[in-house]
Amino acid sequence: MKALLVLLALLPLGLAYYKLESAIDPIKMLYNTTGIGAITLLLLSLVPSSCKRVCGQNFLRYRKTIGLLSFAYAFLHVSVFVALDSEFDFITIFEKSLKKPFIYIGTIAFIILLFMALTSFKKLFAKLSKYHKAVYLALALALLHSFWAQKVAGMFEYSVVAVGLVLLGERVWAWQNKKPL
Amino acid sequence: MNITPEALFEARRHFLKLGAGALVSSTAISQLLAETPLDMSLTYTPDPNPLKLSPNTLEQITNYVNFYEFSTDKTAPVKLSQKMKTDPWSVGFFGDIKTEQMLRVDELIVKFGLEERIYRFRCVEGWSMVVPWIGFPLYKLLDYLEPNSKAKYVKFTTRHDPSLFPDQSKGIFASIPHPYVEGLRMDEARNPLTFIAVGMYGKRLLPQNGAPIRLVVPWKYGFKSIKSLDLIECVETEPLNTWQAIDAKEYGFYANVNPAVDHPRWTQSKERLLGKLTKQATLPFNGYEKEVASLYAGMDLRKFF
Repeated sequence: MKALLVLLALLPLGLAYYKLESAIDPIKMLYNTTGIGAITLLLLSLVPSSCKRVCGQNFLRYRKTIGLLSFAYAFLHVSVFVALDSEFDFITIFEKSLKKPFIYIGTIAFIILLFMALTSFKKLFAKLSKYHKAVYLALALALLHSFWAQKVAGMFEYSVVAVGLVLLGERVWAWQNKKPL
Repeated sequence: MNITPEALFEARRHFLKLGAGALVSSTAISQLLAETPLDMSLTYTPDPNPLKLSPNTLEQITNYVNFYEFSTDKTAPVKLSQKMKTDPWSVGFFGDIKTEQMLRVDELIVKFGLEERIYRFRCVEGWSMVVPWIGFPLYKLLDYLEPNSKAKYVKFTTRHDPSLFPDQSKGIFASIPHPYVEGLRMDEARNPLTFIAVGMYGKRLLPQNGAPIRLVVPWKYGFKSIKSLDLIECVETEPLNTWQAIDAKEYGFYANVNPAVDHPRWTQSKERLLGKLTKQATLPFNGYEKEVASLYAGMDLRKFF
């Protein structure tokens, strides 16, 4: 079941690879595929615990897999930035790009996801799982980053914010009703 | 010498005959007039292409566009615009000129003739392409309109017609304020590079590329090159262009391509040429420094970005 989930989640990447040859703006296409993938999976990673509270279905065993998939997409997204967009020009990256709020906001979100991915193994997770609440911050920053990336926010940006608000709202509601988060 | 290309001459005669008929008033004839298929091919003087630029393919240029009147998506306007009626189409010329008037695109073509200009095109978003435009330089039109001494700027407006452009019918939910407005200083407008395009690759412009008539200012970011023109006005004060109105911190009036001045959100030193997975350096004034740098002598281009 988990294997199927991974396969399904990686499908857009396969499609992007297939389309790369004929893409009109390949770097932008890769940015979009990996960025949309990371945010969508990040939102999906919040679904299992909401689902358990709201409808009693337990999908918590998939949460880590979805989270790691989201990190994988975010990692590729950052790789596109470093390797293709900046062409490993670290001077420009540090002197110019990272000064721009839109980029450092995204970088902070990525660092949070990186921390969560590195501490997702059993031993470390037992010790550090309480810090995994930082996913909410990562999500908020990622949403801001996706909004900022556009000249004018479109359907996708508004949709993910709406879904994000529902998922975060459910957590606030559960917390106020003293249900375990 | 002004020789009207034969095809245009014939088309015009056809048009005039039908027009005369329509005046006598028969709905059948006006129907026929409306349905007359537009001859899409153009006769023009080819660009000798001294810079040896290789144009992007028609497929690339016509399938990757910013045309927010249809959608903020780069590919959606292609589908959304196919039914757009771009003929007949008149452009209004108003403001501080000798005679305010309206002229059909076909009349403009006959009046000024057509030539090809293979230009680099650089979007503020960081992508670029090379386009073989067909049209005429704006100064020819301005010479004809005879702006008076009060005319310091030229203001351009995109057609406002919600039946053509879906985003214009969305009211407060529109992606940008409509109609789209752009402007040039008179000396910029009169620069020989500044071009009014009606076609590319030997054919009329497709709707998604700003049919039937648009501006092309090759040394400025693409958003200055306003599409589907409705009005050209010669005015006294600097027009507030749409993107400056939306966010003056990020988009100025001049919008000269400048690798040394970053956009607040992304660097401008390199660009992605459409179709390429590698990047190339962006040139000052998009490679037209020799022709236009003098227009900005003494100006701080960080301030006037």
